[in-house]
Amino acid sequence: MSALSSSGRAYLAVFQRDLSIYLSYRMRLLSQTASTLFSLVLFYYVSRLVHVRGFGSPDNYYAFVVVGLALLGVIYSCFATPALIRQELVAGTLDRLVLSPFGPVRSVIAMSLFPLAYATALATLSLALASAIFGLHLHWATVPLGIPVMALTLLAFLPFGLLFAALTIVVKQDNVGTNWLVAILALIGGMYFPISLLPHWLQVAGKLQPFSPATEVLRHYLVATPLNAPVATSLLKLAVFAAILLPLSIQALRLAVRTGQRRATITEY
Amino acid sequence: MLRAPERPRPVARDWARRPTGAWTVAPGARRPATPLALDGVSKRWSAAQAPVLNDISLTLASGSSTWIGGRNGVGKTTLLRIAAGLIHPELGRVHARGRTVHEDRARYQRLVSLLPAGDRGLYARLSVRRHLEFWARIAMVRRERLQGLVRETIAAFELAELAERRVDRLSMGQRQRLRIAMTFLAQPEVVLLDEPLTSLDEEGVELLRQAAAAVIDRGGALLWCSPNVDHDQGSFDARWTLECGRLVPA
Repeated sequence: MSALSSSGRAYLAVFQRDLSIYLSYRMRLLSQTASTLFSLVLFYYVSRLVHVRGFGSPDNYYAFVVVGLALLGVIYSCFATPALIRQELVAGTLDRLVLSPFGPVRSVIAMSLFPLAYATALATLSLALASAIFGLHLHWATVPLGIPVMALTLLAFLPFGLLFAALTIVVKQDNVGTNWLVAILALIGGMYFPISLLPHWLQVAGKLQPFSPATEVLRHYLVATPLNAPVATSLLKLAVFAAILLPLSIQALRLAVRTGQRRATITEY
Repeated sequence: MLRAPERPRPVARDWARRPTGAWTVAPGARRPATPLALDGVSKRWSAAQAPVLNDISLTLASGSSTWIGGRNGVGKTTLLRIAAGLIHPELGRVHARGRTVHEDRARYQRLVSLLPAGDRGLYARLSVRRHLEFWARIAMVRRERLQGLVRETIAAFELAELAERRVDRLSMGQRQRLRIAMTFLAQPEVVLLDEPLTSLDEEGVELLRQAAAAVIDRGGALLWCSPNVDHDQGSFDARWTLECGRLVPA
């Protein structure tokens, strides 16, 4: 019990460390809020300008894309961990994490928490601004159901960040295809438009990643977008992704650290 | 001098003190293993190169201090990193109180603490106090001990005036003092110091010596590596030079 409590406090310590560092850059929150607002404005006018097949009104398309944008931010945050690892390598602080009783694997997992929490908060802010300024109609009766779905989504996406974090420890670079991967996921996951508009083979690819079921269920709960598949099926997909990828990514992380220690490259950057 | 004028020995449960001040094991008691032992440690960077460490064996006894010197690039830092459990040797084993890092990583890291060379290992935007609190929590220090330990460390390393100052606003010497404070913070049994005097002023050197003496006094061990004789050699119990991958008496 004591070990569990110490471990929990160590996770919290990493979270608080990242929060403190974030807050020390005072303009960052302002600039990111402005950036979010800019995206909302841009897509508001795009929704007015372009008629997308399958949407009855511009408002319906706007609701569709705003939830996609909010979720994309959260997905991006899963891929923030490799960049953080790179910073730790350069600063020499990863050595200290490796040498701590808390250990490197738990430290890396803990490093993912603040970006995830922050991106979730920013996604919430994005929905609130869209609702307040652009009249996005939130379906309040089912909005609370979006919270556990979001938690499951994070569990399904966290392993991608951990896998790339493991890769960063080995190859010492943090941009080994993460931006491409997120862009492809956004495209085939139906962030900007329904995947039914894509060629058939891309639609098949879209079914092999967790972005589509996550966006679909969240859209349904947040803005009452009609479902293509039952909620239970989508949730099951997310749960399967999490159950398979999470242990796999932790094992990959463990292996990357061990390889770095064996080859003595863990201290290199 | 590394040793404090008076050395109150730790009173452990299964130990008895002779009137002469020497130490012995009480009947039936299990003697704790050596704080740190390297046994046949070898490391090479590539198959084509000679090993940087070649079958190194070294024992750090309880209450002892050891100095290892040698020219730049000879492998002192590699030796310390292996001893700390940061990197692994090709051959050989390292034990801290009888266990290797592979057998019980968390326990090993509680016992052994490394001060890496240089000025890295700090978060520029965090204050001195935040650093100490963070490392105490990462070191899994119990909640009830944590704040007391941070306070003691701030006092021991005379960091009170700097406690709320961000690291990127500290001088190099002040950063080094913080790095040293972090190394000693969780009261490890084995302290490994890689060129610890870098950027330190006289006051900092004295604080380091006091902290080192405290580790030795409580039955721990100290391993100090530096290329030059930058301190009183006579204060160490053992002195070695690393040459061509091997330790030779200095």
